[in-house]
Amino acid sequence: MKKKGVGIGSTFYGTGYGNGFPDVSRAKAVLKEDGKVAVHVGATEVGQGSKTIMSQMAAEVMSIPLNDIIFICEDTKNMPDSGTAAASRQTYNTGNAIKLACEDLRKKVIENAFKELKLNSSVGLTLKNGEIYLKTLPSKNISLKELALCLLKNKELPLIGEGSFTAQTIEMDEETGQGAPYWPYTFNVYGVIVEVDTETGLIDIIKAVCAQDVGKAINPEMIEGQMDGGFAMGLGYSIYEDLGLKEGKMKNKNFTNYLIPTALDVPELEKFIIEDPESTGPFGAKGIGEPVMLGVAPAVLNAIYDAVGVRITQVPVTPDRLLRALKEERRE
Amino acid sequence: MSLKNVYVAKTLDEVLNLLNQYGCESKLIAGGTDVIIQLREKEISPKVLVDISNLSEINFIDESEDKITIGACTTFTTIAESSILKDKLKGLVQSAESVGSPQIRNAATIGGNICNASMAADIVPPLLALDAEVLIESKAGKRRILLDHFLMGKGKVDIKPEEIVTAITFNKPKNREALGFGKLGLRKALAIARISTAIYLSLDEENTCRKIRIANGAVGFRGMREKEVENIFIGKQLTEDVINMGIEKLREELNQRLAGRSSAEFKTTAIAGIFKKALLETANNCKE
Ligand SMILES: Cc1cc2nc3c(=O)[nH]c(=O)nc-3n(C[C@H](O)[C@H](O)[C@H](O)COP(=O)(O)OP(=O)(O)OC[C@H]3O[C@@H](n4cnc5c(N)ncnc54)[C@H](O)[C@@H]3O)c2cc1C
Repeated sequence: MKKKGVGIGSTFYGTGYGNGFPDVSRAKAVLKEDGKVAVHVGATEVGQGSKTIMSQMAAEVMSIPLNDIIFICEDTKNMPDSGTAAASRQTYNTGNAIKLACEDLRKKVIENAFKELKLNSSVGLTLKNGEIYLKTLPSKNISLKELALCLLKNKELPLIGEGSFTAQTIEMDEETGQGAPYWPYTFNVYGVIVEVDTETGLIDIIKAVCAQDVGKAINPEMIEGQMDGGFAMGLGYSIYEDLGLKEGKMKNKNFTNYLIPTALDVPELEKFIIEDPESTGPFGAKGIGEPVMLGVAPAVLNAIYDAVGVRITQVPVTPDRLLRALKEERRE
Repeated sequence: MSLKNVYVAKTLDEVLNLLNQYGCESKLIAGGTDVIIQLREKEISPKVLVDISNLSEINFIDESEDKITIGACTTFTTIAESSILKDKLKGLVQSAESVGSPQIRNAATIGGNICNASMAADIVPPLLALDAEVLIESKAGKRRILLDHFLMGKGKVDIKPEEIVTAITFNKPKNREALGFGKLGLRKALAIARISTAIYLSLDEENTCRKIRIANGAVGFRGMREKEVENIFIGKQLTEDVINMGIEKLREELNQRLAGRSSAEFKTTAIAGIFKKALLETANNCKE
């Protein structure tokens, strides 16, 4: 018999290394001869899209087109350390460092511009759309490109901005359990509808919904991509992926036995991006890489409970495990 | 022995000559979806590969007055899309559709599936339920053999190194007869059968079972007929009670066959749902 059930799984997750461990990201922003800005940063692109959103952040601060950002990463000779692409920390931590580095460069650009423009001070000077100009008299202006050429002539290039960001976390007191081990936290909720076949133990996910707190969406489409990917991984974790550990040894060592969901197994995911800017985040952004998969398994297990009245406490819920649990339940 | 040559054959004659020349040093490769893996795993080490994937002579689905014949090199995609096989032979189409993924179905052949003789080969239960015959050729001549006898065990079939399977043939379903199929895989694509079942059923006007042939896959060392279970149904109306008796018998059979295996409990439980659904679908299809 096929039985339907609804389940919700809600999580909150502290991003970053946490617990007082020094969590430092560094970045450099460099004005090049052609007016483009090179960002040197130790953030590693692992498919999560860090290159894209960090370039976006730099372009935003420098007020230049995305194409004028030269993003340099994954080459330790050419970049400062920005920590690992782990703990869902790069957007928040390294994003902050890039923002600081670009703000530093922006300040230096404006200071150099007022000298070139032969003004009394830098008050009222601003940088927008690749131009530095006086707000009260916009005809007093110089483009980043022109400025870079002047600086080159005066042998004042490269102009470098630097930024370093250290997250604020406080080790927990082992005695009292008090402290502030993480900041910020990211919130997530999944809802799924499952159909359980009580004769075969097969579980079909009919519909899934994800609402993801992101602080501020730097790139909404890429966040949706992360949600789709996180959901598929969470689904695999919930009902398919079984290492088959026996006395510490993996039985399922290949993808014939270690099953991951195929495109046919992953239903359409309805996605909601929740924006509530985080005051310490770059433009309000927070990390979401791991959070997007955490709520899936609890939601699926709750939905199974709703469908057949059996609490499963071990993942993955493979058909044989589910049938065994149903049998035991009937016996009791 | 290391691989020396790959012959891409254009005609059946060429194949028969090559097989005759190289004998057990040769290996036929059709879609290669099993052979390539076996080569990589060093389970086989032929001196020559005879590639028959371009052999149009044995890539066909033929229909005569009372028979259907499928060439050995016919792919699962072709079988799944065949207009000859749909309706009464839906079970054959469903089993072809359940193989691997689109890429695998585009390459993998019915002949390769049978000759690889995996216990979970998806096309085998439907063909056993159809009481299909295997047509075999060598330079010395032709022979035909029931699939049930051709399959000898896990990875073993009754074929000599000089021989090639050219086709599979079976009787067309008559009025009020149909073939059904059910498969339990652990996901919706690229899933090796944990259980597969095929039922050939002939019902009279009173819903009484005139003939039935049941074959299961992945519950024994090869796909096999369930004659004890068939006996429960023959001559009886397909009532709820009779179906349940059949399922009980099926469970008994599986229990004996799978005794001692870790999968026994799961398979003897799960077969009920798979079998019942396939049986009811087949019965409905008989009436249409
Ligand atoms: C990713 C993946 C998923 C798969 N999923 C499934 C599945 O869901 N269900 C399933 O049943 N199988 C599955 N398989 C196994 C395989 O695809 C099938 O067994 C397929 O039918 C083999 O056909 P082939 O043409 O590729 O055979 P090949 O690999 O070319 O040959 C297989 C064997 O048959 C012999 N042979 C081939 N043709 C002939 C012939 N005409 N005469 C005599 N001997 C011959 C070969 O010498 C070899 O020993 C899967 C394989 C892969 C790699």
